[in-house]
Amino acid sequence: MRKKILLACAGLLFSQLASASDALPQRWVSAGGAFSEWVVALGGESKLVGVDSTSQYPRSLHSLPGIGYQRALAAEGILALRPDILVGSSEMGPPPVLEQLKASGVRIELLSAKADVPALQQNLTTLGQLLGQQNQAQALLSNYQQRLQQQAAVVKQARQQHPAPRVLLLLSHSGGNLQVAGKDTLAAWMIEQAGGQSLGEHTGYKPVSSEAMLALDPQVILLAGSRLQGDAARNALLEQNPVLAQTQAGRDGRVLVIDPTLLVGGLGPRVPDTLATLTAAFYPHAKTLSAEAGQ
Amino acid sequence: MTAIVRPRPMLLALGLVLVLVVWLSLALGPVSLPLGETLKAGLRLIGLPLEGDATQQADLILGQIRMPRTLLGIAVGAVLALSGVAMQGLFRNPLADPGLVGVSGGAALGAAIAIVGGSLVGGLPAAIEPYVLSVCAFAGGLIVTAIVYRFGRSNGQTNVATMLLAGVAMTAMAGAGVGLFTYLADDATLRTLTFWNLGSLNGASYQRLWPLLIVAVAVALWLPRRAAALNALLLGESEARHLGFDVERIKLELVLCTALGVGAAVAAAGLIGFIGLVVPHLMRLLVGPDHRVLLPASLLAGAGLLLLADLIARLLLAPAELPIGIVTALIGAPFFLFLLVRGRT
Repeated sequence: MRKKILLACAGLLFSQLASASDALPQRWVSAGGAFSEWVVALGGESKLVGVDSTSQYPRSLHSLPGIGYQRALAAEGILALRPDILVGSSEMGPPPVLEQLKASGVRIELLSAKADVPALQQNLTTLGQLLGQQNQAQALLSNYQQRLQQQAAVVKQARQQHPAPRVLLLLSHSGGNLQVAGKDTLAAWMIEQAGGQSLGEHTGYKPVSSEAMLALDPQVILLAGSRLQGDAARNALLEQNPVLAQTQAGRDGRVLVIDPTLLVGGLGPRVPDTLATLTAAFYPHAKTLSAEAGQ
Repeated sequence: MTAIVRPRPMLLALGLVLVLVVWLSLALGPVSLPLGETLKAGLRLIGLPLEGDATQQADLILGQIRMPRTLLGIAVGAVLALSGVAMQGLFRNPLADPGLVGVSGGAALGAAIAIVGGSLVGGLPAAIEPYVLSVCAFAGGLIVTAIVYRFGRSNGQTNVATMLLAGVAMTAMAGAGVGLFTYLADDATLRTLTFWNLGSLNGASYQRLWPLLIVAVAVALWLPRRAAALNALLLGESEARHLGFDVERIKLELVLCTALGVGAAVAAAGLIGFIGLVVPHLMRLLVGPDHRVLLPASLLAGAGLLLLADLIARLLLAPAELPIGIVTALIGAPFFLFLLVRGRT
């Protein structure tokens, strides 16, 4: 009964919009920061009726109802938003909640949170179809790929002139212990793509002792999760962790602040820009090239 | 400690409150259903053929989401409160909590092994995956409790004080184990572990519900039969023995009831604190120390309080929801303090 009404409404809308023949989902809930960003990039922001706690960007998403953390979703809370579709990664759960949602007619679309281009291609194609924006999705994707290729070329050229800088990404939450990004993280992927050498040897994010950080002697420190920006963030970090001031990065003042929402949920639309910024910072003497990458 | 109110009206009042809270738990949620629809869906659920406007959605929300959740809340609340009474009776200490014999610590360790270990070995077969967490938590609780009980035994006797200390030590060891797995966890599993430690009735389904329901009914039928023995234990172990109770057997039964009950509750809903401690204590202040009244009163109050906490948990931040452990502690702790202060003056 309800489905019929919904279909009828959707049909009416579509005949008015003279759009695709299929009834596309009109009310979207997104459980994943990067996915929400892509939906917005594909012009679907007005269709979003709820987002999860990792969807922090663009800031306009803050005004939408929050469905909480993607692994602890609540069936009835989401149903109250009357969504047609829920998009998220395979980490979304708990499984009984997803089943309850499916049973009440919400389409569940699982996307990949892997940080590689094939996964992104798949995600964008799916989102493009579901939003009725295939062409725009295709355009975004080819632009993205092009920028990553440009990026790779820039890095290759820069590396011929300069050795790759040793980079340490530190995650800090309100003065707690610093955690270092290791292997298999989006952070490590971004550092490598931007032409740096990621120093974390462990997997995931782990606290690392000050002494070990001194021994690693990073040339660049990336700081995620700081409330401060620029010089203020750098000074606060070095003040709270005097040992870091003894590293090469500390002595040269090469501490960059990056947005921690970039580091979760796969490749988002902001990644190429960030990579260009990072490359510019990693290779300060290769200025002409990094300016090219920033286009 | 004497009763503030007479037992019969008190039980009646608690029963009515529970019925009211059950109704609220079925009628309220982030999706607002008209009262008539809820009522009709409820009647259809028990087999009456009735037609309604929002038939499908109301049936689904009431039958598949709110009903299992409410049943889970009743079972978990009742079992935790009853186990609390059993432990406070066994240790003759109103500050005893079901966690004292190591069952919560063991269950947490089992859950950590399941959550983190599962992702470390690279995922489990899909057929058993949904049940691994519950089974591991239940097994962890039982194993650690068995070890604690074993430490308390010597010469055919169970020394309650030794058992208490062994429980503290084993809980600390289980905590170290959980800490180790926390360290090994990646971000996603870490969040799962954290949320599990705060408990939730979210995602309740009938398949996961029935093992707990069986245990809950068994505990709820079994423990009240031991009310006289628990009363005798209040006087002291040797006094109870002289009164003709098989004290060693009673102790084993109480520990077993707690391990099974709390183990099953924790396996179904994660760690939910404070119900097992606050409810029996509160009921003792109200109805007095007689276990024949205390046990049923705690059962009703435990179920009611947990459902109430769950209502707050799912309505406060809707469409997201709060882990219920936060709500029970937030309600329980200040109320407990209030009772302590009032009792002193």
